[in-house]
Amino acid sequence: MRDFALTAEVQELCVAADRLGRTELAPAVRDHEEAGAWPPAVTAVLDGFPLGGLDLPERLGGVDAGCLTKVAVLETLALHDAAGLAAADRTGPTVGALLACPDRGLATEVAASLLAGTASAAFTVPDAELGTTELFWGPSQPALRWIWTCAGSELGLLEVTGPVHAAKVLAFQASGGVSVPFASTTERGRWDIGARAALAVRGRARLWAAAIAVGVAEAALQETLQYTTDRVVFGKPVAHHQGNAFDLAFAASRVHASRLVVRDAAASFDRDEPDAGFWATQAWLETMENAFLVTDTGIQLLGGHGFIVDHLAEKRFRECRHLAMLAGALDAAEADVAAVVLDVPDALLAGLEQQR
Amino acid sequence: MIELDHRTMEMLEEVRALGREHIRPMGLEADRTASPPPVDHPFYLICTRQGGLVSGMIGAEDGPTSLDWKPVRNFLIGEETAYWDRGVALSLPGPGLGGPALRNTATPEQRARFLSIFEDHSRARWGAMAMTEPGAGSDVARIATRARKDGDEWVLSGQKMFCSNSARADWVVVWATVDPALGRGGHRAFVVERGTPGFEIIKVEHKMGSRGYETASFALDDVRLPADNLLGGESFYESRKGFKASMATFNMTRPLHTAHGVGMGRAAHDFALDFVRSDYPAQGRRRQRALERLARIRRRLHTARLMYLQAVWLAKTGQSNALEASYAKMYSPPIVLEAVVAALDILGEAGVRNDRMLEKLYRDAKILDIGEGTQQVQRVVVARQLFDFPRDA
Repeated sequence: MRDFALTAEVQELCVAADRLGRTELAPAVRDHEEAGAWPPAVTAVLDGFPLGGLDLPERLGGVDAGCLTKVAVLETLALHDAAGLAAADRTGPTVGALLACPDRGLATEVAASLLAGTASAAFTVPDAELGTTELFWGPSQPALRWIWTCAGSELGLLEVTGPVHAAKVLAFQASGGVSVPFASTTERGRWDIGARAALAVRGRARLWAAAIAVGVAEAALQETLQYTTDRVVFGKPVAHHQGNAFDLAFAASRVHASRLVVRDAAASFDRDEPDAGFWATQAWLETMENAFLVTDTGIQLLGGHGFIVDHLAEKRFRECRHLAMLAGALDAAEADVAAVVLDVPDALLAGLEQQR
Repeated sequence: MIELDHRTMEMLEEVRALGREHIRPMGLEADRTASPPPVDHPFYLICTRQGGLVSGMIGAEDGPTSLDWKPVRNFLIGEETAYWDRGVALSLPGPGLGGPALRNTATPEQRARFLSIFEDHSRARWGAMAMTEPGAGSDVARIATRARKDGDEWVLSGQKMFCSNSARADWVVVWATVDPALGRGGHRAFVVERGTPGFEIIKVEHKMGSRGYETASFALDDVRLPADNLLGGESFYESRKGFKASMATFNMTRPLHTAHGVGMGRAAHDFALDFVRSDYPAQGRRRQRALERLARIRRRLHTARLMYLQAVWLAKTGQSNALEASYAKMYSPPIVLEAVVAALDILGEAGVRNDRMLEKLYRDAKILDIGEGTQQVQRVVVARQLFDFPRDA
């Protein structure tokens, strides 16, 4: 019987990430947004982890620490400042694509450029019905070079070879940001990898966003607790009014739920479970729904203070929505899980299901 | 992050077979007749003879009085049993909610005395636990049932209600206060045995759903108990130990409640899933809508399961789980009801019919958001731990 504890090694990594976040990220969050990047010294430390290679196998230049390790570290960093993670995590949401790419040589080339810090990569789920013709947002610190696409059962790799446009977007300004017309790219490969493998690729990308969303939601919760226990209205702290206390308790329960489901999905990737992509997509849907609730509660309980940039509540609120619009956005994820829900067995009772 | 060992899988398979053959039919019958299965129901005897719902659930090396319980396994079995019928699951012979109370408060001698009756396999036996009173439901600190010492005996007087299986129990763990002015510090737990003079069942409730087990009220009219029936002995109740013990009981029953909810939600999901497979068109907007709702149910039930398993795992590993137990209890009931409602919607108008079972699940499920502390109580519990939410707020 496994348990819910993180190993001592993972906890150590999280402690280090927490220290870095507390000392180097949290004090200058707005400066990072203004600068469009985290300080080079911070990214240098993260490259040393290496954050981008935590869940990559050694054959791709990683340290093979596993997906669970990665989500735990991402959550920890996001607790302090998520905005630079799309750039500082060199592989980010593209790990699933790197792992699934049938052209091993090409995957190795891409991974090497990312881990060396000479290129950035983005991931997108083009919508065939809408006729997507561009990548709407990708990190640009360093310059975006690779775009992985994954729709249906197809995985594709585009290399940026033409002009790109600076993108003003909802959040994650500290990762830079560019839009890229597909006309500005050269296709390096396109493979039919099968529906299940493709869902795993998309699920891995979504889980990356989910892990960050857990950290963002936790940060929002902690800041809201701090504010509402300090500020007095109608003769007592905001949090001591029962209606508000109930909202805070509910929000806390949802952060807890999100953390559990993200880690569970990450562990399913580490165990090479066939339906890991399904459960990761489910984890993302769960986490985003909860993160919206938590960050919205955050702004609401801060009142007008939640709407101004003197507090970080508005940043958390923007970041959660931004994360929900990656990897095809939520509707594509719902369609993905609906497409296979009749065929995916219970995660725990799969052996019994066959006898039903 | 939980994997099941071979023995647990075997047990779950056994429950599944029992559920299909006995538990669900018993639940449907109890619902139809609005009364729980009789105490001499053959299935209860089957359970009794094999020492539990599943043979070997309590290993020979453990013994029924052992503290080396296997909560994760047992909670999964609870989930699976509730899948077939939660009411019947709660009616099964055994110590019931009295078990956790004994585990948290009793001396080894008391555990042996009160739990050893379950080694007698000649007839089904039940235990029960009574906390709720007509004037004290969610606010358990306000219980008014009085306990006074009279020589070597304790004398109990008061009234309890909403007590599962108490009308058929061999004993009931009764929470009472030695002095209401002491608040929680005055709480004591006693075992009142069947047939004790002054112990009288007043009423067995008629309920909207969950009719597979009885819910009764009883009176304690100067019930005289030997000193040995005070669980843990008097030294146990120094400071707030008594109240904390009752709360520790809830820290295990709340995740169990969640496990039951996951089982019920899965039952609704599977019913709807089978209906989509058999009756829905192969394509189209309505099918897509149904599949998306099924996927949502799957997601939320999976999350609820992780929450109760983690809460139980914390307890098993000796860590505090009060917060996590309440998180699980807070999360689960609304999503179970959502699962049943989604399943009803997927069936369409056919969902209202009693022979489809889902309308029964709709009536059954609501109690999950009330028993073991309402949704509102859970939020109070969580708020107190998160930021010291004042008791008089």
